[in-house]
Amino acid sequence: MKREEISNALQQFIQTSILAGGRRINEHSNLREAGVDSFSIVEIILFIENEFAVVIPDEKLLPENFETLFTLSAIVYELKPDAH
Amino acid sequence: MPDFSKYPIPDKVFLSGQDCFHLMLDLHAKKHETGGNVMRQVFYFRHRVNEKKIRTALLQSPAIHWLCNITLNRGSLFSLPFWKYTNAGREIRIQTHEVELPRTIPDEILQREMPVGAPAYIEADFLYYSSGESAFVLSWNHILLDAKGSALLFAHLGRVGEGIIDDAEVLFPKTEQEPGLLSNIRNMYGVKAFIQQSSKKPVSSVFIKKSASGKNKCLQLVVPFTAGETQRIQEAGITAGSKFGLTHYYLACCAHIIHRLNVQRGNPGPLWIPVPYDGRLKGSNGPLFSNNVSFIFYRIEPEHLKEIPLTVSSLVKQMTDQIRTGMPKKYNLLLSMMRHFPLWLYYFLISRTGEGTFASFLYTGTGENFSQTAHFTGEKLSGMGMVTALTFPPGLTFVFMKHGDELSLNINYSPGVISDTELNFVVAGIKKLLLNS
Repeated sequence: MKREEISNALQQFIQTSILAGGRRINEHSNLREAGVDSFSIVEIILFIENEFAVVIPDEKLLPENFETLFTLSAIVYELKPDAH
Repeated sequence: MPDFSKYPIPDKVFLSGQDCFHLMLDLHAKKHETGGNVMRQVFYFRHRVNEKKIRTALLQSPAIHWLCNITLNRGSLFSLPFWKYTNAGREIRIQTHEVELPRTIPDEILQREMPVGAPAYIEADFLYYSSGESAFVLSWNHILLDAKGSALLFAHLGRVGEGIIDDAEVLFPKTEQEPGLLSNIRNMYGVKAFIQQSSKKPVSSVFIKKSASGKNKCLQLVVPFTAGETQRIQEAGITAGSKFGLTHYYLACCAHIIHRLNVQRGNPGPLWIPVPYDGRLKGSNGPLFSNNVSFIFYRIEPEHLKEIPLTVSSLVKQMTDQIRTGMPKKYNLLLSMMRHFPLWLYYFLISRTGEGTFASFLYTGTGENFSQTAHFTGEKLSGMGMVTALTFPPGLTFVFMKHGDELSLNINYSPGVISDTELNFVVAGIKKLLLNS
């Protein structure tokens, strides 16, 4: 699975389940500015666990890793065993 | 007064499940003769505020107009309660006060009630301090507007001040889709089982029955922190493992100090705290009206109260588990379903949910809702404050609010529940805990 595919799946989830209708984000949109709050981060982490079978370890739970779809998908890509 | 006849105000707005819950709190407040389910937001200014500008925004806002021109229709068996727009042409009541001490709010405002049946559900006050500073206070009944809704209302008033009137869909909630009866019943049993387990006895509350009257008392104490202290608190929270914002760190510190108080009183035990959880989709401008929050229910056993990081870890796990199982949404579905019951039955069921268990204390936070709010209707702010409705019992609510770089903690309490000496103990202790000093 490519990083771009992970990013697309995350984009789809965030736009339909987290953000209000009509809110669109791209790979480099700041997620916090788009409205993603700390509770939403938990929902995103749970989605990542279910969808990609990836558990994000505590040391990777840093604000900078959740800044954009690009940074987030890069972390998931790095942690996903079959991604490389 | 502007002509609102061309604005598409709906004739009926149905109460959400959470609104009905707050309607019950309103009845509960009446029963216990406490201060009522009123929220107050305070905007502070270093200068004498441009009163005319704010008055104009208030009078031209369709949201404020609606809040002053509705009556509650309680519904009947299997029909939902709703707000009926009366179009009575009533304007918001605006009062001015001269106040001696800066940043104090007159008792008259703190004790003011606007229960169901009152002429209007929102009121405004301008405070002029002898120092030359001023404040603007909006008070409203919590049935109509939750904390996030209030943040949206202030943004709306800002736009009105600039001559922009929001569309009606920004203001009013959409009709909810309800699941079928069988799903509802299955959901109801799941939620009931979870809450009963979470709140099972023993639970130690600051509310001790024999202390009991909350009559006419809603007092508040503000604990301010400087920008430097706020930074220290943030670092301490991250070190303690509060990885999804600082809520769990704040809550852990509150839990520790209440546990110490309970130990002093010879009443230590597990704590149970329902914490509001905003259910709106993020980044939207609305809906302003109606309560769109659910709860995360935290239970903290004494063995998790030995160290702050241990408490934080337990809270993070409980939140993750509840979001994983969709509990906040399920709880809201339960409340929505219960709207179909007559109000007396709803009240009976809600008051029985915890089998007589009271929350140990209440906690709420404004999160990032106001941290970037620098102006109100174009006027530069020097600070903000929030006085939440005091739910009694338990009669003690911690409210964390971040404005700019500074955190403040508002403690709303009933003196029947906590004495002055105990309050001093709580304030000194929580400051130390938050600052990790």
